[in-house]
Amino acid sequence: MVFSSITFLFYFLPIVLGIYYIVPKKCKNIVLLIASFLFYFFGEPTYVILMAFSILITYIFGILIDKYKKTTYSKLFLVIAVVISVGLLVYFKYANFIIQNINLWLKNKIDFIYVALPIGISFYTFQMLSYLVDVYKGNAKVQKNILKLATYVSLFPQLIAGPIVRYTTIEEQLENRSHTFEKFALGVRRFVIGLGKKVLIANVLGELANKFLGSNEMSVLYYWMYGISATLQIYFDFSGYSDMAIGLGEMFGFDFLENFNYPYIAKSITDFWRRWHISLSSWFRDYVYIPLGGNRVSKIKWLRNIMVVWLLTGLWHGAAWNFIIWGLYFGIFLILEKLFLGKIIEKMPKIFAHIYVLLLVMISFIIFNGESTTQILTNIGGLVGIGNVPITSPESIYYLKSYLCVIVVGIIGATPLLKNIFNSKKLQKVTNVLEPIYLVLLLLISTSYIVDGSFNPFLYFRF
Amino acid sequence: MSDKIKNKIITISFVVILFGVFIATILKKDETISASERRKLAQFPNINFENITSGKVAEDLDSYALDQIIFRDGFRSIKSFCSNYIFMQKDTNGLFLKDGMIYKMEYPLNSKNVKKSAEKIKSVCDKYLNENMKIYYSIIPDKNYYLNSDYLKIDVKDVQNIMKESLEKANYIDISNALNIDDYYMTDLHWKQENIQDVVKVLEENMNLNDTSNLNYQKEELGDFYGAYYGQLGMKVMPDKISILKNDTINNARAYNLEKNSYEEIYNMEKWKNSQDKYDVYLSGATPIITVENPNGPEGKELLLFRDSFGSSIAPLLLENYQKITLVDLRYVSSTILDNYIDFNNQDVLFLYSTVVLNQNILK
Repeated sequence: MVFSSITFLFYFLPIVLGIYYIVPKKCKNIVLLIASFLFYFFGEPTYVILMAFSILITYIFGILIDKYKKTTYSKLFLVIAVVISVGLLVYFKYANFIIQNINLWLKNKIDFIYVALPIGISFYTFQMLSYLVDVYKGNAKVQKNILKLATYVSLFPQLIAGPIVRYTTIEEQLENRSHTFEKFALGVRRFVIGLGKKVLIANVLGELANKFLGSNEMSVLYYWMYGISATLQIYFDFSGYSDMAIGLGEMFGFDFLENFNYPYIAKSITDFWRRWHISLSSWFRDYVYIPLGGNRVSKIKWLRNIMVVWLLTGLWHGAAWNFIIWGLYFGIFLILEKLFLGKIIEKMPKIFAHIYVLLLVMISFIIFNGESTTQILTNIGGLVGIGNVPITSPESIYYLKSYLCVIVVGIIGATPLLKNIFNSKKLQKVTNVLEPIYLVLLLLISTSYIVDGSFNPFLYFRF
Repeated sequence: MSDKIKNKIITISFVVILFGVFIATILKKDETISASERRKLAQFPNINFENITSGKVAEDLDSYALDQIIFRDGFRSIKSFCSNYIFMQKDTNGLFLKDGMIYKMEYPLNSKNVKKSAEKIKSVCDKYLNENMKIYYSIIPDKNYYLNSDYLKIDVKDVQNIMKESLEKANYIDISNALNIDDYYMTDLHWKQENIQDVVKVLEENMNLNDTSNLNYQKEELGDFYGAYYGQLGMKVMPDKISILKNDTINNARAYNLEKNSYEEIYNMEKWKNSQDKYDVYLSGATPIITVENPNGPEGKELLLFRDSFGSSIAPLLLENYQKITLVDLRYVSSTILDNYIDFNNQDVLFLYSTVVLNQNILK
């Protein structure tokens, strides 16, 4: 079930909210747990068992790790739990990719396995790993109530597309959380804005990107329109989903951490990754980069650590070479920035730093979206006219006129401009009146787009 | 307004909308058909173990929720309005409104599909038609063709360039100059019967038929017509008026519907009253094979009209020159079995297809 569906908005959500607020406090987690399993069951009727199994393993090994704390058994149990969790992820997500690449070197080919990728497995696996490691390190108390642990892992707002919520973030809230008008309204605001970002901008720009991919009338203008629309689409799609998840969390009394912080205003790639998918990059920092030694090792090992993290970041996004290249691409630029490029960028006028980031990010998403090396190279080369493509074509001009307004809204929406206006104390009286109207209109318009539209993918579902 | 009041208003508005739509949708009786979109609406899914575990129930529930939501047409109108006037998109799902007329973008030209359509027509020529038969073909431009260059459209000349490679033995009749934008309905893709006498004239000239342009038809206006594009766009626009042309020849003619094995009126008034698509009034709409007999027509003179829906309204206007017109719609009958139903002898043959159909490769 996706948040931007009528089934979720006008059936699932009102029923769950209604029951959740009617039942006494002690039953609220149970309601959320049942709702979350139903939510997952709706999209993955068979893999719900896999998720339940993973939770059970995490629960048992969490207790074992805690019980044998400060002994070698504790580490052993952690390793076993990690191997099982990562093993399941590798089996379901990467097995065929591994077989495909091994087969390149074998005469007798290995048969592919027939498994579908369980929705959200990358997200909930990482949440469970963070819990196990935190319990092992003593950063989190072990959860002895399996229902509470299951509620944490399966919590439907963040279950299938993040953000990756750490156990320590909501450990206290699982026991005790507040429900106020203010918090609920804050949740509504985030949810409705996220819905609008997803439905009104990401989906519409996704249509443009798809029109480009299906076209035979290429032009330099069209390649740029594709690059820009794909870059905006992925941001509004994913950050919109994160906004909805955070908003839903607020409605149910949880405070999730931010996942995006206007990444397209970054002044370097290092800055970009502090603002983009924060829950994932901080996860890799805390559970891979730092345990490997971080930057407190020799220069060679430090560079190795960075590349390992970015190789894994790429792989996390998908079992294909373009994702690996995408991760390593960022790894290389991060290393260059740390070595010398960062200092050069700092001295540049801000505008050039922004252009540098946006160009690199746009190219990265062309790589990210590419289905083959040829397509990636063609789409990057097309930006500078390689392949004898004309500057414009009737189709590109038509779609530029047709989508220009959405692109401009997208560009403005990717900056904190509107947020600053709404948060301005000088304008508070006006914005307080306008905000409810604006949110109601946004909800109704987003619903109308869902009712009428057939194009409604969630890009981050594949992870 | 204080933050406290604002937060209460936001919370209450959200809850009212969510629960309001939910309860109203539950209480509303499920609809079976969308009159505006001319399609069946999804019904509550069949729930059983197999459908649940395969995920079909989830998919079907999504479709059901989408189709049965309360104020569905209203939501669709809001979407069209926002797309057109707020985001200033040039089209919504390929549809757009210009000067009160609704257009559907037919673009790009699919050369492979046009080639396949042409090959299908060629296969009919090769299999059934002899050298004594006069074979013609003509292409009906989509109404976008008459728009200015700001819009993407298929050029009839490009379609003809592909068609002529396969149809060397057939004579092409260019009717594009005999039409203009006013000859099409505002809310539909079709041409208006009362406006296509210039097209008839061009066909008659090129097919060596008697000129009937001096004939006077009585125009009978039947009423409002909301065409296919009206429901698809989801915006309120003025309806068209649909009219039928009559004279003694048409009044005395009758149509034989091979599929139903029955005779029908040239203008099927029952279809006018009851059909979702009022354009079905012309020769009963979509029919695989239908023959129109003109008892006072020239002895032995027959026309085989291979056509799409545009052919239904022009066929009555060609009757003066023929004793019998057989209309064949290759979208609904396979070209391989035509000799089971039609005696191919010495008829004139006209392939009359719109660019919309040729561009889709839907001829069987």
